Amino acid sequence: MSGPLDGIRVLELTDGTVDYCGRLLAGLGADVVLAEPAEGSPSRAVGPFLDDIPGVDRSLAFWADNVGKRSVVVGGDDADSGDGADSGDGADSGDGADSGDAGLLALVAGSDVFIHTLRPADAARRGLSFEALSARLPHLIVCAVTPFGQDGPWADYLADDLVLMALGGSMAGCGYGPGPDGRYDTPPLACQEDQALRTAATYAAIAVLAAVAWRGEGGTGQLIDVSAHECSASMTEWHLMTYLCSGEIYRRGPHPTLTGADGRQIAALTPDFLGPHVFTRMLEMLEADDVAGPLSDPAFADPGHRARNYGDVWRALKRLAEKHPAEELYRLGQKAGLPWGVIRAPEEVLDDHHLAARGHFVALPHPELDRTVTYPGAPFVAHGSPWVMQRRPPLLGEHTAEVASEWARPTTQPPR
Amino acid sequence: MLPTAADGAMALEGLRILDFTRLGFGAQATLICGCLGAEVIRVESTRHPDAIRVMPPFVPDPGAKGEGFGAATLANAAGAASANRGGIFYKYNTGGKRSITVDARHPKGLALLKDLVAVSDVVTESFAAGTFARWGLGYDVLQQIKPEIIYVSMCGFGHSGPDVSHVTMGPTAQALTGLTFMVGLPGRPPAGWSFSYLDHVGGYLGAVAILTGLLHRRRTGEGQHLDVSQLEPATALSGALLLDAMLNKRPSRRADYPTGNRRLHPPAAPGGAYRAAGEDRWVVISCRTDDQWHGLVAAIGRPDWTTDPRFSSLEARLAHADALDELLETWTSSRDRYEVMHALQAAGVPAGAVQDAADRLERDPQLAARGHYTALGNAEVGPLPLEGVPFRMSATAPHTGGILHRGPPLLGEDTTAVLGELLGITADEVEALATEGVLS
Repeated sequence: MSGPLDGIRVLELTDGTVDYCGRLLAGLGADVVLAEPAEGSPSRAVGPFLDDIPGVDRSLAFWADNVGKRSVVVGGDDADSGDGADSGDGADSGDGADSGDAGLLALVAGSDVFIHTLRPADAARRGLSFEALSARLPHLIVCAVTPFGQDGPWADYLADDLVLMALGGSMAGCGYGPGPDGRYDTPPLACQEDQALRTAATYAAIAVLAAVAWRGEGGTGQLIDVSAHECSASMTEWHLMTYLCSGEIYRRGPHPTLTGADGRQIAALTPDFLGPHVFTRMLEMLEADDVAGPLSDPAFADPGHRARNYGDVWRALKRLAEKHPAEELYRLGQKAGLPWGVIRAPEEVLDDHHLAARGHFVALPHPELDRTVTYPGAPFVAHGSPWVMQRRPPLLGEHTAEVASEWARPTTQPPR
Repeated sequence: MLPTAADGAMALEGLRILDFTRLGFGAQATLICGCLGAEVIRVESTRHPDAIRVMPPFVPDPGAKGEGFGAATLANAAGAASANRGGIFYKYNTGGKRSITVDARHPKGLALLKDLVAVSDVVTESFAAGTFARWGLGYDVLQQIKPEIIYVSMCGFGHSGPDVSHVTMGPTAQALTGLTFMVGLPGRPPAGWSFSYLDHVGGYLGAVAILTGLLHRRRTGEGQHLDVSQLEPATALSGALLLDAMLNKRPSRRADYPTGNRRLHPPAAPGGAYRAAGEDRWVVISCRTDDQWHGLVAAIGRPDWTTDPRFSSLEARLAHADALDELLETWTSSRDRYEVMHALQAAGVPAGAVQDAADRLERDPQLAARGHYTALGNAEVGPLPLEGVPFRMSATAPHTGGILHRGPPLLGEDTTAVLGELLGITADEVEALATEGVLS
């Protein structure tokens, strides 16, 4: 079955920071081609590697974000993928739109969507500015994803994910609390695995989908300008509103967690604001385990009384936690309608029977390695247009010849 | 001739979303569509207002100081007389959303909702699985009303699977999918996130689901049910960790992981957050290449470091990262975090101040220059600097106030207008319905 983007050709020329964008579009049925220099896209050099043996076709970081794409090697000396997130400001530039980019330009001409991570000056030098491209290719949608966007006082600044998490505000709100003297002896912490860049990649995919929907058949393309900094700055939920409402800045500190009998932890939210049933059912759970203590006093039914005596609530929950391993504690809480979750390591989701039942994980054959690899699959269940996931991540240059011949034909646009 | 930016064209113009989402996750999805030009009609209840409307922090009267999130209790929430003061509502309900109130449990209310479904393209909701169907608005019913309807449900565990009855909030899903675990220092319990990151990410994928439904319908004429959970959008966020655990038998639950702010792939040294001048002020620095390293030592006036054998290559610097961090912090700790950032950026070194919410609003010229915030309010709440989508489009510029260029709606403020415009119900008839309790 074809996906909603069937027939849409997407060309990616990236520094490896936003490969996830193309993976999403491939899942929706787009024909996504990664344009790579002879030595491979930068993300192919990022570890970890299969069996810890480096190689352009062995990067697991590359595999994770490039499922479903095809790979084309383009150009000669100047076919590098530009200098997006963190590789210097034009330090590796060639001079002039040289012949190395001829193959690339031919691919751009055959595509509906061109996603890149070039700074404006580098795009212009290579004849890849939106102005230059759209003059010849009015249907073309160009999506430029850069750390700070196409303009502004910081437009030329460099950023990797850590810098983006710092400037965007996620980091300031994450980490351990202060010591007894009130001084923080550990820094703010950023989550591993490029969360700001993943958010930017996801927003880029959303914008591309919107541009494709608007373009319809025979319509015009446009330039999408994604600033990863803005993406990062917009994902901190309540922090900005709290400052606007109260003038208070959230200071990082501990969150409600309970430690089970096995030493593992759960996130243990007790969202009173959802209504009185939350406490009622929590109390039933605690009483069933004989650990409710003072909470059985009817006075605790009053939210004000609870708020003033929250220590009693928390001590009862700790008594409960001591009796159960974390997975069991998680399910006890859920049975009582509490939004509790056991804190798992990322790979522990592979054992989750719920995700398995929803058909989330997909095994793809890597015939050249004579093995099959399991990947996370569809990010949602679309009953009418199932996620397209048949291709393993491409070997470097695996599709150079076939794409050159297929994309030489004009792109066909979907009916509106 | 297609419209250009000057025409004010928007990408999703003409798409009507009947929006039953609550709290953050679902509302994030429809705010994105609203900023792209979709007409988003929030269907709400006066008897059971969306908790996000009545939850602290509250937007204070102009000039007054409000209550902080630290004081978040039901007692405080009950003290808020208005359904329009919950601050976080204003984070999640930009995009020009309108608000109507209809009682789905009243037979006439249900009939009105069905009439609205008939003239909508998309129905979104974020209730617990099964709730919407019990109201009499399950996908089978929606389909009977309008076969090509796009139904997008957004709920923690989705609408199928053995744990379908589980309830989640952002932090729940973050715990279950490994995201909480991925923030922390080795040898210590996870530090996790202080906000519902997955309400955002789940909402982004909710927007992708809405757009998927739209594009699929264009192609086939068919509607469908798109079932978005808060778990599936998260599994791709752990990057290569799943593959490393499966294929290389290197579980991330191990003594030396997670590595705080240090990154293993690709590695940086120096790489991390360094103390700057001031109380709990920090600056991030990240050197992955020799060029960046040379830029750093030149910028801080320590060219002698380049001859120190401990720092002669990236490998050497990684091996001596602790010593390097300590030396570097002696330089950063007496300097302003922004001064460090700008000096290093000028030398070609990725660096950035650790900014909090106030910094982003008041000390970030880049966000200001990009027009990241748009001042929007409503009849009860004065203009606030609100956020929309963090990208630009040259031909179909998104707007934080949506196609109507307006702020988040008061509860029910559009009931009369929407019922009139879409269903031809007169103001007098609306009045009568309200008296009957249909519009509560």
